[in-house]
Amino acid sequence: MGYSDPTAGRDLLGNRSLCFIFICAFGLVTLVQQILYGKNYIKSGQQFTRLKGDEVGNWSGIVSYPDDGGMKPARNGRKRYLDSSDGSLQFNSTACRELRQEIMDVKVLSMVKTSELFERWRNLQACAWEQSKEETNNFKMSLSRCCNAPSFLFTTRRNTPSGTKLRYEVDTSGILHISPEIFKMFPDDMPYSKSQFKKCAVIGNGGIVKNSKCGNEINSADFVFRCNIPPISDKYSVDVGSRTDLVTINPSIITERFQKLEKWRRPFYDVLQNYENSSLVLPAFYNTRNTDVSFRVKYMLDDFGSARGVFFFHPQYLLNTQRFWAVQGVRAKRLSSGLMLATAALELCEEVHLYGFWAFPMNPSGIFVTHHYYDNVKPRPGFHAMPHEIFNFLHMHARGILHVHTGVCR
Amino acid sequence: IMMFLRCHRSKSVWAALCVLVLCWLYIFPVYRMPSDKEIVDEVLRQGQTWRRNQTGIDLYRKLLTECCDPKRMFAVTKENSPLGKVLWYDGELYHYHTVNNETYPFFVQDIPLQLPLKKCSVVGNGGMLKNSACGRDIDQADFVMRCNLPPLSKEYVNDVGTRTHLVTANPSIIEKSFQNLLWSRKAFVESMKAYGSSYIYMPAFSMKPGTDPSLRAYHALADSASNQTVLFANPDFLKKVGHFWKRRGVHGKRLSTGLFLVSLALGLCDEVTAYGFWPFATGLDEQPVSHHYYDNVLPSSGFHAMPEEFLQLWQLHKSGTLRVRVGPCVHHVDE
Repeated sequence: MGYSDPTAGRDLLGNRSLCFIFICAFGLVTLVQQILYGKNYIKSGQQFTRLKGDEVGNWSGIVSYPDDGGMKPARNGRKRYLDSSDGSLQFNSTACRELRQEIMDVKVLSMVKTSELFERWRNLQACAWEQSKEETNNFKMSLSRCCNAPSFLFTTRRNTPSGTKLRYEVDTSGILHISPEIFKMFPDDMPYSKSQFKKCAVIGNGGIVKNSKCGNEINSADFVFRCNIPPISDKYSVDVGSRTDLVTINPSIITERFQKLEKWRRPFYDVLQNYENSSLVLPAFYNTRNTDVSFRVKYMLDDFGSARGVFFFHPQYLLNTQRFWAVQGVRAKRLSSGLMLATAALELCEEVHLYGFWAFPMNPSGIFVTHHYYDNVKPRPGFHAMPHEIFNFLHMHARGILHVHTGVCR
Repeated sequence: IMMFLRCHRSKSVWAALCVLVLCWLYIFPVYRMPSDKEIVDEVLRQGQTWRRNQTGIDLYRKLLTECCDPKRMFAVTKENSPLGKVLWYDGELYHYHTVNNETYPFFVQDIPLQLPLKKCSVVGNGGMLKNSACGRDIDQADFVMRCNLPPLSKEYVNDVGTRTHLVTANPSIIEKSFQNLLWSRKAFVESMKAYGSSYIYMPAFSMKPGTDPSLRAYHALADSASNQTVLFANPDFLKKVGHFWKRRGVHGKRLSTGLFLVSLALGLCDEVTAYGFWPFATGLDEQPVSHHYYDNVLPSSGFHAMPEEFLQLWQLHKSGTLRVRVGPCVHHVDE
């Protein structure tokens, strides 16, 4: 009794001083951001709102900021382009250049309110999209330098010889020895080559594609990518089409809905039958849990005598694309499979069209949309950085590298 | 020694000694197994003569019905194992499976057999069958039971026949030969085609590690739209049959599948003929006999008490309750 800790008053680099240092650092970073990007904020007189990409889950219910951007007259007295979604203006006309520049002026997502971004995006819809050869080629060049999908997208017998010690993408300590048995499951070589397809469509599963009537347009593409075996039954095919050439499957779906294929297999096989003769892609070497399930898919299809191609993402390719996008400002624990496919499509196709890529709770006109076109189940927060990915696509759209469809197709 | 013990004058030592001796006698009974040579002689003395004894048949059917009720209980059905019923594993201590929504749909509504069956063949896998030319006799029966997914390929047809109405499948085979059905299942489904539209009788609830492979076998066959029906052995029935034979002096840890099938056949059929039951290394002609008709791999010792089981069968053979065919089948002699 009566004993007191003599060091209690001092707190040499203890909790309190650490806390203080953190607060200082945070304040400093905020200040620097203000200085760097603050000009726009002062000029437009908009309130600076921080919008963290990984808080998607919180957006579902109440809107935490007034969505009045769309109702306001055009900002800075600039003329508003009426009938904004008709795409009547030339992509390279002066007016469109300005509109594109407006999108590209938004350097980071947190710089403007989403409503502001939506308005700029809506205005840009007045311009018919056109591919910019120069930008596209530059982008493809840098992609092929980093990632090289035409030879490294999937594990093949060529790029992964038998006996390789394959490193997993996230379980970096985990190493898989490619036994002859596993080697046998790989294709001889990559089934696709560089810019093999003229027009590709990558279908995200965003609720934005609902009621878009884009089915026919999607079906007319030369190659259609889909993510995570989405439903494409008659109910949805008007909006998302039915053609599928490549579809990814997340092993977690198999684990949850099909008991890892350890029990019944026919139900899963029947689900796959909806996708005509599209190939399947599985991230088998993402982590150790995925491997067995993914191999089982291959075995199952062989058992049922299906000639459907089954491919596994090369872990190195995924790592490289992750690094590539991190440089572009998309930092997440894991890139969405949509972004993976879009990245691959950029190398494999001449022209890439994205449908259903939208990670905001409302569409550009401010109307709420469901999370997926088939359900409204939100993903685990903090896993994907969807808004940042979409934001990147909007930029690329403005630069003429790919075409993001968010409106209704005609 | 007696003097030495007496000088202790301690009753507890005597008691301990008595208990020890009793235990010893229980574990290693004084009853001595006849040697292989004696059994061969005995079998040769009996020769091919066999007379059917209806009273013996009726008696055994009555005994088996009283103890184990094979007609209703031999497989797990929706009738005898409703939802929530606890199935105690017969091969393990303190393990049970409660019939739940997941397993209940796998059970057949009721025993699907047309009872009573007339002539049954129970085919063991003994090496004695090799070059026996018993295939025709086996196939002549109305109901053919086989053990442990035996090979029925071309080279064996003459000796073991082709027809199968019920075949047992040990989960350990699925584990060993088919990687637990976790990977490719084609090999399994293909190999099962040899048994036509027979019932696959699996002791799913005997050993804990056997349950999942057995259920998986069901999945695999149902997925491939096979016309085979999987019946799961009722652990209750297996346990009771085990006790039945233990009382008659079969002391293995566990009965062999063959004896289970013979007991089943005795309960279900009017006339039972057993083929391929010969657990000895030498045949009647003093020539070595392989362990199975398809290979010569001995099982792990100490699990089954095959010779004792054979003696039981031979007793039944002598009493005319069932017929055990040993040695080659000669066609012009019988029937």
